[in-house]
Amino acid sequence: MEDFVIEFMFFLEVLFSGLLTGTLYSLVALGFVLIFKASGVFNFAQGAMMLFAALSLVGFQEMLGVHWTVAFLLTVVVMILLAWCVEKFVLGKLVNQEPIILFMATIGITFFLDGFGQTLWGSDIKPLDIGLPTGSLDFGGIFVDQLELVAGATAGGLVLGLAIFFNKTKIGRALRAVADDHQAAMSVGISLRNIWIIVWSVAGLVGLVAGIMWGSKLGVQFSLSLLALKALPVLMLGGFTSIPGAIIGGLIIGAGEKLAEIYLGPFVGGAIENWFAYMLAMVFLLFRPQGLFGEKIIERV
Amino acid sequence: MFYREAGQFKSSYKEDQAVFPILQDRIGIAILLLVAFIGIPLFAGDYFVGAIMTPFLILALAAVGLNILTGYAGQISLGTGAFMAVGAFSAYKLATFSIALGGAEATLPLILTILLAGVVAALVGVMFGIPSLRIKGFYLAVATLAAQFFIEWLLVKVGWFTNYSPSGVITAPPLVVLGYEFHTPAEKYLFTLTFVVVMAMAAKNLVRSHIGRGWMAIRDMDIAAEIIGFRPLQTKLTAFAVSSFFCGVAGALWAFVHLGTVEPEAFGINRSFSILFMVIIGGMGSILGAFIGAAFITLLPIFLNNVPPMIGWNIGVDMVAHLEFMIFGVLIIFFLIVEPHGLARLWTIGKEKLRTWPFPY
Amino acid sequence: MGVHEIKPGDVLLAVEDISLSFGAVRAISDVSFDIRKGEVRAIIGPNGAGKTSMLNCINGFYHPQQGTITYKGQKRSAMKPYEAAAQGIARTFQNVALFKGMSTLDNIMTGRNLKMKSNLLTSMIWWGKAEKEELEHRRFVEDIIDFLEIEAIRKTPVGRLPYGLQKRVELGRALAAEPELLLLDEPMAGMNLEEKEDMCRFILDVNDEFGTTICLIEHDMGVVMDISDRVMVLDYGGKIGDGVPEEVRTNQNVIDAYLGGGH
Repeated sequence: MEDFVIEFMFFLEVLFSGLLTGTLYSLVALGFVLIFKASGVFNFAQGAMMLFAALSLVGFQEMLGVHWTVAFLLTVVVMILLAWCVEKFVLGKLVNQEPIILFMATIGITFFLDGFGQTLWGSDIKPLDIGLPTGSLDFGGIFVDQLELVAGATAGGLVLGLAIFFNKTKIGRALRAVADDHQAAMSVGISLRNIWIIVWSVAGLVGLVAGIMWGSKLGVQFSLSLLALKALPVLMLGGFTSIPGAIIGGLIIGAGEKLAEIYLGPFVGGAIENWFAYMLAMVFLLFRPQGLFGEKIIERV
Repeated sequence: MFYREAGQFKSSYKEDQAVFPILQDRIGIAILLLVAFIGIPLFAGDYFVGAIMTPFLILALAAVGLNILTGYAGQISLGTGAFMAVGAFSAYKLATFSIALGGAEATLPLILTILLAGVVAALVGVMFGIPSLRIKGFYLAVATLAAQFFIEWLLVKVGWFTNYSPSGVITAPPLVVLGYEFHTPAEKYLFTLTFVVVMAMAAKNLVRSHIGRGWMAIRDMDIAAEIIGFRPLQTKLTAFAVSSFFCGVAGALWAFVHLGTVEPEAFGINRSFSILFMVIIGGMGSILGAFIGAAFITLLPIFLNNVPPMIGWNIGVDMVAHLEFMIFGVLIIFFLIVEPHGLARLWTIGKEKLRTWPFPY
Repeated sequence: MGVHEIKPGDVLLAVEDISLSFGAVRAISDVSFDIRKGEVRAIIGPNGAGKTSMLNCINGFYHPQQGTITYKGQKRSAMKPYEAAAQGIARTFQNVALFKGMSTLDNIMTGRNLKMKSNLLTSMIWWGKAEKEELEHRRFVEDIIDFLEIEAIRKTPVGRLPYGLQKRVELGRALAAEPELLLLDEPMAGMNLEEKEDMCRFILDVNDEFGTTICLIEHDMGVVMDISDRVMVLDYGGKIGDGVPEEVRTNQNVIDAYLGGGH
């Protein structure tokens, strides 16, 4: 009986830790969804944007020796500038191209940003410390990482904020209009360019927040860019256009991955977290091709 | 000698459908083949042949494979590296399996080993292609990442694939065909070249046949393709199979001919990306483009490594790596903006201009 | 197949009590009609009447929730579009659905796909079987190109062609399959008068020369009445008239739907 209780507590601990890691995936996935919703662009560069933002933040802190809030504001400016550049030099030149072309262009952006960020700020692993709590809290025998709790809360807050932004503001309405139909939106006088700059800026901001969380956890390093790949199965699960989907998909992937690693990993030699999420998402998609919250499309000819 | 087709009349559909309908093109390709088969092995140095030409050819073959899937059939794949790995490790298993059976007499012939490795890769490709019926577009691209990571993991974790080599590294057997050993870089180059030329021709034939038209039909408008009679799953799976076969053979050549010893990490996600870039820069939906793209991507790092020091600008190794990333990124975007069909299309447009030169039309 | 020979005038395809809905939206309700071999059959009706949905049911793209479709005397179960194509049903689309990345010639060649048998290996080798087959079908396709008078645009990528020509190429692609039943979804939509006349001529010629049964949808009543043998009228997913053009023209329900129905 004792053993069972301990086992169960351990299970809860693993589950909870997985769920909280999942919110971190959700944060990255959120950036993808925002851009996909508003512009139909599958932004492969979201991870690179996250890395670039985190690198810039740490870089500003180091270079200027300023408080992190100042560095944060500077980085926000940088991300807005980046959004402007993306619109001006990439997307603006590719209007009316097929989605696959735009997708590949974002792979180009990924490589550029990865190279540029590291050229600018160096490629060593840098610690990121903005005073987020570390260490574990004890909830009646279940240990929970404080940083993960903060990340979970932040993700929740961001989603709430974005929901309000999308549903209650004028810009949000315009964004939704653009997501529905580009041409119709343009015909009622919505500027596509501005919308794209705004949405890439917001995605950059989300990337910055995600970068801070992941950077505090792992240090700011190149592998952050690869983390974005983990957000892809989250997207497949949640659907490319659904914000709640990104959150719930993240939770499922986070929890599933941790549980599989602990309970399944030992039987197959471990290190399964590299692919488990993808396989989970793929199998899931076979049964529900539009993801959890995607809309079923009626095909027409 | 002008590049003109005036006076060359086609009197049959057969002539009209030839791969190189214009005389000057045929002369050009003949010269190119002569240089490749005779000129380079005779006159070029070992470094050029072994470290540039051979890998270029093998990667071009993989790019042809990916181009069949992505450029012709319109299915994005980020798992090319994995299918190359399957080819490499199957070739290794096949080669060592027969040795274990009993002496050098019983080994599978090398060519057969490499082709069979391609077949194994094709089967694995089909397995990962099955979801393509239900999963489309970007979802599929993500699903191919599953293949990439899963296969890489499998090859690292399961000792059987490497015959329980403690380091996870496999060593290729010597390249012997009919008792003749391909040993020097020039010989290995010729071995590769023969494979690549034959397979590129096969690919060209395939894409101009009704099978290739089926792929393009599915790519351009899958619903209409199904309504005029193409079976979607069968068409897509054929593309997956053929594409993976090409990638598998390329992987086997990479392990057996180019590197000699290889570990699964050689076929990681970065390999997948670099081959995707070859296809984009060279031109989607073009066999020639795969070669141009492969040449470009192979030569660029060499250029970046050698040119700055030559002009007295010394930059660190990691700086070069970062620069390479940036330049790749910018080039990809540049090509997508200027010509989504890549260098191959620019080449065709150039030729069209040349036909009427010096007159505008 | 055990199917008896269908002579001109016999029922080629019979649709009985078909209903189709998407969620709460009823696209077709309880419609029955038939298509006889060798005739030009028209389905007309205002926008959203369910005309295209009807074609989609016939060629297996949509599966009606109720009702049966009998083709060549055989009751069909739910089938895939490519199966319908294999049984000799070809079609064109309302919004041109050509393969944009391919030339006119290649587009029409895709219509021959069901008749081309060379496999992966022989196609790779090309010399011999595959080439022979390709040339044989090329000859057939060239006849269609001549028939449709599009010789000059043979090698042009279809994406660059004007709309009227695209429609013609699409007709060519459908004809290449040598269909028994040809479904045309608004073949004249968006055309000018001259182009419409050309298209009418082609449709009648196809019907005359190859004996192909044609079922066409039109939005505009005028042209249809002139070239069709029988006309069915749909409105709000239901059948409101069916018969020879004169009958339909004088049918009160039809007049109401087109003129007085408040559309």
